[in-house]
Amino acid sequence: MKAFFRTILLFACFSALGLRAETGREALAKAILEPSDAEKRARLMALAGTRDEAVIPLLELWKKDALFLAPGLDGKPVPVELVGPADADGKRAAQRVDSGRPLLDASGRPLSLSPKGLKSAEHNGALRRAMRTVSDLADLSSPDASKKLRAIAAVGQAQDAEKLPALLNRLEVEQDAAAVKALREAVALIRLGSPDRAVRLAAVRELDALQSLASTDFLAKARVKAEQEKDPGLVAAVRSAELSVGRHRSVVDGAGTLFRSLSLGSILLIVALGLAITFGQMGVINMAHGEMIAIGAYTTYVVQNLFASGLALSPFGFSLSLPGLHATGAAKDAYFLVALPMSFFVAAGAGLLLERTVIRFLYRRPLESLLATWGVSLLLQQGLRLTFGANNVQVGSPAFLSGNWLVADVLLGWNRVFVIAFAACIVLGVWLALTRTSLGLLIRCVTQNRAMAACMGVRTGRVNMLTFALGSGLAGLAGAFLSQIGNVGPSLGQSYIVDSFMVVVAGGVGNLVGTVISALGIGTFDQFTQQYAPAFANAFAGVPVVGGFLQNLAQDSAVFGKILVLCGIILFLQWRPSGLFAARSRSLD
Amino acid sequence: MSTNRITSLLSVGALALASLVTPARGEETVKVGVLHSLSGTMAISETSLRDVLLFTFDEINAKGGVLGKKIEPVVVDGASNWPLFAEKSKQLLEQDKVAVTFGCWTSVSRKSCLPVFEKNNGLLFYPVQYEGEEESKNVAYTAEAVNQQATPAIDYLLAQGVKKFYLLGSDYVYPQTTNLVLLEYLLSKGVPLENIGGGFRKDASGKIISAGKYTPFGHTDYQQIVAEIKQFSAGGGAAVVSTLNGDTNVPFFKEYAASGLTADNCPVVSFSISEDEFRGLPADKLVGQLGCWTYFQSIESAANKKFVADFQAWLAKSKVPGIVKEGRVTCSPMVLSYDGVYLWKACVEKAGSFEVDKVREAWKSGVSFDGPGGKVTTQPNMHLTKNVFIGETRADGQFKILKSFDNVYGEPWLKGKFK
Repeated sequence: MKAFFRTILLFACFSALGLRAETGREALAKAILEPSDAEKRARLMALAGTRDEAVIPLLELWKKDALFLAPGLDGKPVPVELVGPADADGKRAAQRVDSGRPLLDASGRPLSLSPKGLKSAEHNGALRRAMRTVSDLADLSSPDASKKLRAIAAVGQAQDAEKLPALLNRLEVEQDAAAVKALREAVALIRLGSPDRAVRLAAVRELDALQSLASTDFLAKARVKAEQEKDPGLVAAVRSAELSVGRHRSVVDGAGTLFRSLSLGSILLIVALGLAITFGQMGVINMAHGEMIAIGAYTTYVVQNLFASGLALSPFGFSLSLPGLHATGAAKDAYFLVALPMSFFVAAGAGLLLERTVIRFLYRRPLESLLATWGVSLLLQQGLRLTFGANNVQVGSPAFLSGNWLVADVLLGWNRVFVIAFAACIVLGVWLALTRTSLGLLIRCVTQNRAMAACMGVRTGRVNMLTFALGSGLAGLAGAFLSQIGNVGPSLGQSYIVDSFMVVVAGGVGNLVGTVISALGIGTFDQFTQQYAPAFANAFAGVPVVGGFLQNLAQDSAVFGKILVLCGIILFLQWRPSGLFAARSRSLD
Repeated sequence: MSTNRITSLLSVGALALASLVTPARGEETVKVGVLHSLSGTMAISETSLRDVLLFTFDEINAKGGVLGKKIEPVVVDGASNWPLFAEKSKQLLEQDKVAVTFGCWTSVSRKSCLPVFEKNNGLLFYPVQYEGEEESKNVAYTAEAVNQQATPAIDYLLAQGVKKFYLLGSDYVYPQTTNLVLLEYLLSKGVPLENIGGGFRKDASGKIISAGKYTPFGHTDYQQIVAEIKQFSAGGGAAVVSTLNGDTNVPFFKEYAASGLTADNCPVVSFSISEDEFRGLPADKLVGQLGCWTYFQSIESAANKKFVADFQAWLAKSKVPGIVKEGRVTCSPMVLSYDGVYLWKACVEKAGSFEVDKVREAWKSGVSFDGPGGKVTTQPNMHLTKNVFIGETRADGQFKILKSFDNVYGEPWLKGKFK
């Protein structure tokens, strides 16, 4: 004990005299205790490049609110982390941040504390950014590629010349091509801020060669500076770099827009495919199609909650409680794979019920079927509202759908890649079902000539029932997917019903190929107008009236695309009233 | 015997007197209008305000009411139908003759019933953050003006080292006007025009008449906009200022998270998302994103803790038909409704009358109330001086308070003020 106190005393003396360098841990503890935000940040920044390996994990803990302020013996707070297993009261051994040693009570015994009774160390956005700078420098050599890339970019954008050696050291040993490119970009960005003209010129040339998108603002600043310094050589070099970056950007924009077109087109396709069957093949103006989508989305919600902690519902005043599986990690994420077939079958079941109870009485009366299905859609919406509440419910994205790929600066979200693949699969599936199965054959023959099919002994009623169920099931699948990108609420269907009809009508009623082409066409048209409307409007800027009008529209480009699509479809249907691919039939109806 | 008779006569007389008085005491109420959408798109938000108003009336009535009179609420449904708001306020003022009305959420509903209140010299308490550029003697704006929400948030971001701002909003009057004021504010703070993203719309003379990117209510496809923000923020130091309303926030934030943008590399400050909205939003996708209001449920004060506990206790006992009892939270518009009722009570008591003109005079003379969000004080321009808080979203849909600005004066006229 005596020895221990003596050491403490010695330490205290030495640190008071400044003889011993402060360890990273001690500096960190001081930063935590520092009352002023600005000072706190300064102390944190001073930790950058520390050799103390304990600091980075401690910073991570701080960010996660897992560093606590324990009351010290002298009444002053002591920053601690809680380590080891928790005992029955949830208490864990407290370890001092400044030394890594156990926190002792008055009698010198190690203390165990429960996180509940403790105040966690404060932090805010600015402090977390400072923490990030510190961990960025450590992350430069991180084995995690995405962490490394983010760290490199952050260090470069800070344009702090002091960090240059760290980057150059890393560049010498770096193997990964993407990281090397990022490092070169970061080095060039820092050198762009150099006072030495030659260094700056070299940096500009480097950025020119790298076609660095992140450098846009920095290059513009460098150009203004060069212009002020009246340095035509440098100005010309910067201009050339800006042009090169601009060219690269337009390529990235183009490719990105194409990808986004494909993804929007796929969503439209998935949403409209069910309708292409119920409306296109069977001729039922099915206003309840949107609610079939909503049923699919809610099924996904229910399956998700069954995989998690269960679900308590109060449909129509009854209370219903479903137990959950309490799955975690990958098993929890697998809910989506279960939800996909479930949403198909639940919606198909709902469709089957709808066909048997309402629609089969209205096959030759399209206007009545329109009104009846509209009524059904209102009933279903209210039913969902009474069961699940008027608020939107939350459906989480599984980990395998929430990341992204960056291919040559073009961002491909995994959920978007998935929707494209998914759309391709279900189109293929439906096509195979219609052309390669006996049910498909029956569906086609009933569609083409119901009376003749009935004469040949086809049980048209049964075929109708199964066809409608298939269409509704596809709508349910669409709902499962839409839960990943948007709202799940009782009126979910309403936002997609118009789009669905638009796609089917423009594609040509009764034709699957037409539906595919029209969905992709509308998606492409919409995204390209959104992307290029401002440029298009600027081209007409000088023209009186029209120029101003276009510019007004272009600013609301998200709406502009939709308006143009609708106008385009109206004009198109004037020219081809039965859509892209008209179904030819000998029947007279 | 005779004394007995006299007593019994007396007691009969007393009874008669009492029976005369009782109906009179029953009439000693003051009618107060509640004008919110209880059906339609806005019902999700506005029903919470009706609930908190009924709670406040019960709380005041339990303590004896206002000037000895119990508050008698007249609840009408604006049904998210703006012209209906005008009709309903006419009914409240001309038929029910209410002393005061608490109501409206959207600016368009306020603008719709404003002429009715001005014609009948009524008094409307308006509790939801709005765009300013309005000052009617018939409206008590307990709401946050732009300088009590938007500009403090910008100040905070500037202090955090943000250099580029992307303006994004729903396409209606509040975001459009707020963003125009913010544009002037940012320019006055030395942020160059090219560092303000989202695009501009100019009139024939080249004057900017609209700044930022706008999407309609119910918009679902945010791919292109998020891609634009991704490029905008590629060089670092950027933030998004969002006035997106309602459930369009869900597809926006889902797309935002999927594209790898986070609160670390490009924070979003939203002016329309409060605790109540998180009941329908994926809070885990918004962790670290910022909000700015004059109240957060997480405020650590005795007054706030009591308010939250009392409200929850009232909810548990409430017999209002169809009231939602689970998962309820408190948020800024709710607290400003609560503060509004107490301020009205204080003004009435100071004026000694329910007459609108006298109550207004009391308001203009400056009345204070210590509410759950701290002290609020009435101003001569019909607005409120109040505290402003910046908070960041936690995974449980609550806010962690990062910074507070005390006693910010509510200033509705901001266009052209920042040069």
